[in-house]
Amino acid sequence: MRAERHFTALISAVTVVIAFSSPVLAAWTKTYVVEWNEPAMYYGAKSGVIDPGTDCPNGTNPEVDWIKVLMDAGYTREEAQWLRNPANPTRSPIHGQNQMAFRGKDRANVYTNPTSTPDPGLVGVSGTIAEGLNLDDDVKTGFTSPTGEKGIDNNFYKALGCWKTYRGPPRLSSGALTFNDSMRNGSWTTVIVVSGHGADPMNDKNVKVGIYVSDDKMVKDGNGNIARDYSFRIKPRAQYEGIVTARSVDGRIISTRPAVIMLRNPAYDRDLELLRARIDLTIQPDGALKGYIGGYRPWEPIYRGWVNARGPVIEALTWVQLPAVYYALKRNADYSPKGAKGERTHISYALRISAIPAYVLTPDATQVASSVETYRAIAPQEPERVSGLFALVVDGIVPDRNAKVQAGPNAVILPAASAGNTVETDKQ
Amino acid sequence: MHGIAAAAPVAVAQQTSPELKPIKVAFRRITESQYRHTIADVLGSEIQINARFEPEKRDEGLLAIGTPQLSLTSSGFEQYFALASSISEQALSGKKQAAVVGCKPADAAKADEACARQFIAKYGERLFRRPLTDIEIATRLKTASLGAQQSSDFYAGLKLALTSILVAPEFLFRVETAEPDPGNPQQYRLDGYTKASRIAFLLWDTSPDEELLAAARSGAMHTEAGLKEQLTRLISSPRYEQGARAFFTDMLQLDGFENVVKDPAIYPKFNQSIADGAMEQTLKTTIDLLITKKRDYRDLFTSNATFINRPLAAVYDVPFLSAGEWVPYTFSPSSERFGILTQISFLSLFSHPGTSSPTKRGIKVNEIFKCEPTPNPPADVDFSKVKDSTNGTIRGRLLDHMENAGCTVCHRRSDPPGLALEHFDGLGQLRTTENGVPIDVSADVAGVKVVGAQGLARFLHDDPKVPACLVRNVYAYGVGRKTGIREEDYLADQTKIFAGNGYRVPDLMVQIASSPEFFKVAVPSAARTAAVPSAAATTAVQQSARNQQGVNP
Amino acid sequence: MSFRFDRRSVLRGMLGGTAVYMGLPVLDVFLNGNGSAYANGAKLPVRFGTYFWGLGLTDTPTGGTRWVPTKTGPGYEIMPELESLSVVKDKVSVFSGFRAIADAKANQVHWSGHASILTGIAPASASRFDGPTFDTKIADAIGTSTRYKMIDVDASLSRHPVSYSTRTGTTFASPETTALGLYTRLFGPGFQDPNSDNWKPDPSIMLRQSVLSAVKDQRDALMAGVGRADQIKLDQYFNSVREMENQLAIQLQKPAKCEDCIVPAGPKEGPRSASVDVVNANTKTMAKLLAMGLICNQTRVFTFVHTAGSSETYVAGQSKIYHQITHDEPTDAQLGYQPQTSKIAGMVMQAFGDFLVEMNSIKEGDGTLLDHMLVMGFSDTGYAKIHSIENIPMFLAGGAGGKHRAGQHIHTTGESVTRVSLTAMQLVGAPVGEFGTGTMKTSRPITEVMA
Repeated sequence: MRAERHFTALISAVTVVIAFSSPVLAAWTKTYVVEWNEPAMYYGAKSGVIDPGTDCPNGTNPEVDWIKVLMDAGYTREEAQWLRNPANPTRSPIHGQNQMAFRGKDRANVYTNPTSTPDPGLVGVSGTIAEGLNLDDDVKTGFTSPTGEKGIDNNFYKALGCWKTYRGPPRLSSGALTFNDSMRNGSWTTVIVVSGHGADPMNDKNVKVGIYVSDDKMVKDGNGNIARDYSFRIKPRAQYEGIVTARSVDGRIISTRPAVIMLRNPAYDRDLELLRARIDLTIQPDGALKGYIGGYRPWEPIYRGWVNARGPVIEALTWVQLPAVYYALKRNADYSPKGAKGERTHISYALRISAIPAYVLTPDATQVASSVETYRAIAPQEPERVSGLFALVVDGIVPDRNAKVQAGPNAVILPAASAGNTVETDKQ
Repeated sequence: MHGIAAAAPVAVAQQTSPELKPIKVAFRRITESQYRHTIADVLGSEIQINARFEPEKRDEGLLAIGTPQLSLTSSGFEQYFALASSISEQALSGKKQAAVVGCKPADAAKADEACARQFIAKYGERLFRRPLTDIEIATRLKTASLGAQQSSDFYAGLKLALTSILVAPEFLFRVETAEPDPGNPQQYRLDGYTKASRIAFLLWDTSPDEELLAAARSGAMHTEAGLKEQLTRLISSPRYEQGARAFFTDMLQLDGFENVVKDPAIYPKFNQSIADGAMEQTLKTTIDLLITKKRDYRDLFTSNATFINRPLAAVYDVPFLSAGEWVPYTFSPSSERFGILTQISFLSLFSHPGTSSPTKRGIKVNEIFKCEPTPNPPADVDFSKVKDSTNGTIRGRLLDHMENAGCTVCHRRSDPPGLALEHFDGLGQLRTTENGVPIDVSADVAGVKVVGAQGLARFLHDDPKVPACLVRNVYAYGVGRKTGIREEDYLADQTKIFAGNGYRVPDLMVQIASSPEFFKVAVPSAARTAAVPSAAATTAVQQSARNQQGVNP
Repeated sequence: MSFRFDRRSVLRGMLGGTAVYMGLPVLDVFLNGNGSAYANGAKLPVRFGTYFWGLGLTDTPTGGTRWVPTKTGPGYEIMPELESLSVVKDKVSVFSGFRAIADAKANQVHWSGHASILTGIAPASASRFDGPTFDTKIADAIGTSTRYKMIDVDASLSRHPVSYSTRTGTTFASPETTALGLYTRLFGPGFQDPNSDNWKPDPSIMLRQSVLSAVKDQRDALMAGVGRADQIKLDQYFNSVREMENQLAIQLQKPAKCEDCIVPAGPKEGPRSASVDVVNANTKTMAKLLAMGLICNQTRVFTFVHTAGSSETYVAGQSKIYHQITHDEPTDAQLGYQPQTSKIAGMVMQAFGDFLVEMNSIKEGDGTLLDHMLVMGFSDTGYAKIHSIENIPMFLAGGAGGKHRAGQHIHTTGESVTRVSLTAMQLVGAPVGEFGTGTMKTSRPITEVMA
């Protein structure tokens, strides 16, 4: 068995008892790197990835009939067919048919203005089981966990759990695969420090968990899994940090009081802010750490994140009408930061994570982190947020400056020279 | 293919003072690293060299002994030819052209003998490691001229001439020449250029530079002072590190890392970057200890100070406390890491893809550090008689097998050093139990009881065979030949001096390179169409064809 | 189809870059009615290759054989370790009971067996062969008209490249060890598509030839005062120069069309691992490339190594390598053989079957490539546990252009392996009447398999 990676500190008998929250060497510390993270979406079928199950009796939401959608939005059949013909993109085949944006009233852009079109009605989860955390301390609100625990609050799951990009057994939904692939290939790294003051890490009343990002990339081993025991330096970030107080019972670490944390989100929208955040993480026999981190997250940025990833592409690939996502999130939002009477801007959510042992170092790389600290004070200013892809996206589509015909509310759809169903290739 | 019996001494009338003709005593194919270093020195380090080099051969522990026995295969020659064309193209095009050529043709669309001659003489000398003869220059001039005419481009002609130099055997092989010794005309001595080459390859792993060639030309290489001056210059230069690296890569057999494979199911952390890192760790540590800090050679076994990088830290299971690439690191005693035998390089190179191998490790400890090779298993081992072992541990099975007659003789010597290293698995990771049972790492090494890696390190530190083996290796590496009974006394003397100098490696290399034995001429047995044999050469003919041990003291 | 031409005659034809090619008239080949020969009567070329794998096949002295068929003659039954050959069984002859005979010399383990098969001489030491391997003789006989005289391949992904082809006994060929390397050699720079309509001789070839002649002009001066061992080295060097000259001269000649030649796509880099499944996959990929290389007339002779004599291969996930298992595993009392060893032997043989299937998958004339070639498959040892060089498994596969009466099991008790080697040489038309030294000297090929 590999030696335990905990550090015993000498606490001199002479030192005054120090308040728990000030930086003291902990009695033990365990450090990890997150090798997988995805929204906790319980899969209720017995096999496959899109099969009907207790969560979604009709299976994953089916492919959308775009011809009908366009005709409902007021286009003629010929126009709808012309628009859906891959040979006729109003933008290049990579970024999708831009005209899809303009399905609202008076051809408004439904990506930026989802209420300009009636709610298409996203089918959500109708089952009673969900993974996640009890965020409101009320066992009467929410789902039942797979192990029978009541009061699991996860309306994100309720609203979006039948959507193709999220639905599936652990590690198999298309969204989870895409984003974790990106993370595991070096796009970002999340590290976790767990420390406590007791003698036994598995049973300790005073545990702290720190979640940080690192600029050091993860390394894959010979089987394609993330290799253990690599070293990662904590990168102080003003934006991304989370510190949670907790206790451990038989290796299960559960929050003792809620916190506010911000994580790097495994999605197109990068910021995962969680209010009233909690954790439920269990130390595994092989040294790994698995469980949930959850809280109430702002729901509108979820929608915006998908829109900014190119509306037409997301809709085509993930079989959804994006305005439906907006409506579903809005009506399932279950938390208002300003109190019961305020607008419900947030929705309950849980992130399912799996982390493996790694050396997490202090930012100056002089030692392994031996306690959970905040590094926000020494963090540099956050850099400007522009990425290659999203810089091109304007109002949910990627306009082609060189195109003869631009998508828009006033676009003429069918080419003038043709009549009926001629297919004119409009290669850009 | 055995040596011919000495021809009855040729019925030549007693020659009172026969003329010794210059002879070529060796053709040693240059290695990949020597090729690369030479091109970088002569034509510039920006030259890209992308080719598959011929495989080398290890004999008696050293590539420097085995590779000289090899020639070129057809596919090897193809590679060298393509490479030579590519190098010539790069060297004589674009910005480099003017700097490399150094003179201008009268008409760039035509041949120009004067400038071509200057170019050929200059680069020919650097690449053949001696001045070209008039005939050699004339042949290349013809090639250059033909090329210039065919392509209406002077530089195209030069490219062809340079290509022909780069594929010539005089470049691809180190041709060692012996001339009559003016002080003693009946005997041979190595010519000045050969001596210059020997020390350049030993200390810098490359062809002689301009200064060395000048020392050869002036005859300074034949004087004690001249030789010493060059040796001092070479050993004090930062380029000495390159030569030392080449020597230790050969002696420690690190070339094996090019193709090490491990089973990812059993050792998932292994990948090519670990392999590269492990090799670099060992070289960095060895160079730092022995060359930069000039410490006692024997500390290589006992010192737990080394260097690691981030991927290696994960395999060693220690934190990598640095923002840089490599960091000095001293292992704690509880890590059981002591010296070179406990570095990932040694441990993983000499194991199986999925498990450790005490026998392999033990064989290599003896071969590399004590110059005691283990013979191949006897052909007539009757494995049907070997007792099948049901023992649970590797150690147990090996000890059981050692009970079998026919196996004991060798395994008794080869296995124990490996058994002492059994706390390290086939990748070099520490593991102190096997199937829940603590692994016993006590062993009887040549009559001495050692426990674990630390015990083995101590044993090697104290064994006089170890420094003697290094001395032998430096000598054999430098002369490119096996050593035998004739060299025993010399090597023993050199080992005494080595000990007297505090076992310092740079001093050892200078000491050997300045000893007369280093330039001893070994006259090979004559070829079938030999020139008129001289009386002195007749005695040489009595040697066997395989053993080039004829000696002209 | 034999090319005979004179370098000077071709040179004469080149004037300052304009191409006036001489030599043979361009062969516009049409097959005769049977598809078995060219219209002018010349036969389709026959190719030869060796295929080697390490650690033999399972055959215990007490009689538990897993590969020797009980029937002799035509129509032998497929034994467990020969499963992979069942698809091409009628094109493969099996030779059992043949042995390497070391006379007074020691059996150098994992060495003497195949050294004897290839050179006819039991080697005195384990670091060299004591003679040239016969594939070089065949290459000299039938390989001079193609771009490459011989191609050597090592699919084992092991630590050191392995080739058992040698002219001198000390320097062995340097093989292609990756699919990409093999592809580049065959179809990369320098490849001339025989079916291309716009072939032009490359004027730079002449210039390259002049470089080589500058090198050769130095030969006599260089050889003066050279010792015997070095003379051998230099001979080999100049031999390589000559082969390159030959290659260049052939490239000045317009290649004959061959309909079946389809330039393949470049292979992807595979994983690097010496486990059996990966080595087998690599073998298959390289076999495909080699097959097309033969069809496209880049070479007529090859040597192929699946795993070396002291093979390093293993089953992924098992900590013991195959070699160690052959020694460690006891014979099962009930079964009469080593079950795990036999299983892995079958996995290793799978690659040989796949190799032959690849050769058989390409049409040529009225048959397949395999019909117009001969592959000699063999190993280094019989019963690997005891390094036995008795009953070394040997196979001859392919039609040899109709001369091999395939599909037979030939069994002997203790005759020399050189008889099979001699048979192979004669089947492909090499002018050899006798092979081997000492007790292994023979002039008797196995006529039962010769048409």
